[in-house]
Amino acid sequence: MSPSAPTSTLRRSIFAGIAGLSLAGTVAGCAPSAAEDGPAPADNGTAATTPAGGETALAGSGSNYKDGTYSADGNYVSPNGNETVGVQLTLASGTVTDVRITEHPSNPNTRKFQGEFAGGIAAQVVGRNIDELKVSKVAGSSLTSGGFNQAVEKIKSEAR
Amino acid sequence: MPDADWAEFSFDGIGTRWEVATPLPLAPALRSRLLERVEKFDAGWSRFRSDSLVGAMAHSPGRYSFPAEAAALGTLYRTLYGLTGGAMTPLVGGSLERLGYGPAYTLQPSGPPMPAPRWEDVLDWDGTAISTRAPVVLDIGAAGKGLLVDLLAAELATAGEKDFLVDGSGDLLACGSRRVAVALEHPYNPAQAIGVLDLRGRALCASAANRRSWGDGLHHVLDGTTGRPVRTAVATWALADTAMEADALATALFFVPGQVLRDAFNFSWLTVYSDGTADHSAEFEGTLFT
Repeated sequence: MSPSAPTSTLRRSIFAGIAGLSLAGTVAGCAPSAAEDGPAPADNGTAATTPAGGETALAGSGSNYKDGTYSADGNYVSPNGNETVGVQLTLASGTVTDVRITEHPSNPNTRKFQGEFAGGIAAQVVGRNIDELKVSKVAGSSLTSGGFNQAVEKIKSEAR
Repeated sequence: MPDADWAEFSFDGIGTRWEVATPLPLAPALRSRLLERVEKFDAGWSRFRSDSLVGAMAHSPGRYSFPAEAAALGTLYRTLYGLTGGAMTPLVGGSLERLGYGPAYTLQPSGPPMPAPRWEDVLDWDGTAISTRAPVVLDIGAAGKGLLVDLLAAELATAGEKDFLVDGSGDLLACGSRRVAVALEHPYNPAQAIGVLDLRGRALCASAANRRSWGDGLHHVLDGTTGRPVRTAVATWALADTAMEADALATALFFVPGQVLRDAFNFSWLTVYSDGTADHSAEFEGTLFT
């Protein structure tokens, strides 16, 4: 109970507690059988070919985008209510050469941090095919990703 | 969804959007069970409902009997409370309400930042029994969404589903043989990803300081020792066996480095800081764009 109790002891005892609870099965992730099925290479054949097929189809359509700079807005619902994300993409030969997010006067926090962080990230996306931005899922500040996908879809249809 | 041919069941729950993807459409009865599970969870844990257990606890101290998942959740929170020196706490609900993020949604601070009460002063969390010595606003937001992902996964597994993806607005659990490509979203630019990760048989959860931001400098990740928002880390990702752990650890990474958390948890992490640098464990090697 003493606040000065050795931290390492605290960690060990708590770790033991968690392990016990996991065995009790109160909260589990995937069933063990799923992990056992996983490594079998035969099962993975179909899964492995699926992304390749997807890429081929998308690469074919990618060359149809016209060069230029496009803007679109998408909406998403946050606890603040409806918010808008503005996306501006510059396309050249079917690839994204620049990405900008329209500033939102209603969101000073985002604007401030964009300024602090902008330098490091732009280089990572430049030159990637617009369709490569499509993955199965996005993990991050996920409230906005629905709005972003809306905006990109609008741009893709405009750029045809 | 993991593949274009998978069926998706979408619904709203605990204030966010949910998607459950499976190779074949879910039977109506199973869909109903999932929705019932969400409602049951909300009825116990919601800070925004006066008729929830948490809502009652905010008014009256006493001993409350919570659903079964409370046991694992309490141990997880107590561990992280210790490892973060009290910064990460389920008692931060009052501080959030002070900053305007309460049931009334004023989104206006009603006073100076208020530190959370100390766990040992007000709270006794023993398995599924939670006893309080003062009115406290319990907030399980740091792990609750992930926990519900796990609970929905358990419903699916019980019904015999083997391959599925549960997505609680970016808190992901992928079970079965297929890999799911997941973009790691740029913290301040949702037009971009900073990397891509293949997810299979585990949970991936993220936390970002720009999510649910309101007002200048007040965002939703609070330091319980000061009641003020955390500033340095801007986005975190955690991979773990359960979404509950991944969700909580993604938040804990705002308070302490992944190396500290590794003493108590089997997980992988990626932390991006406001200067654009990243810190990650081995499993995230190669997932970041260069």
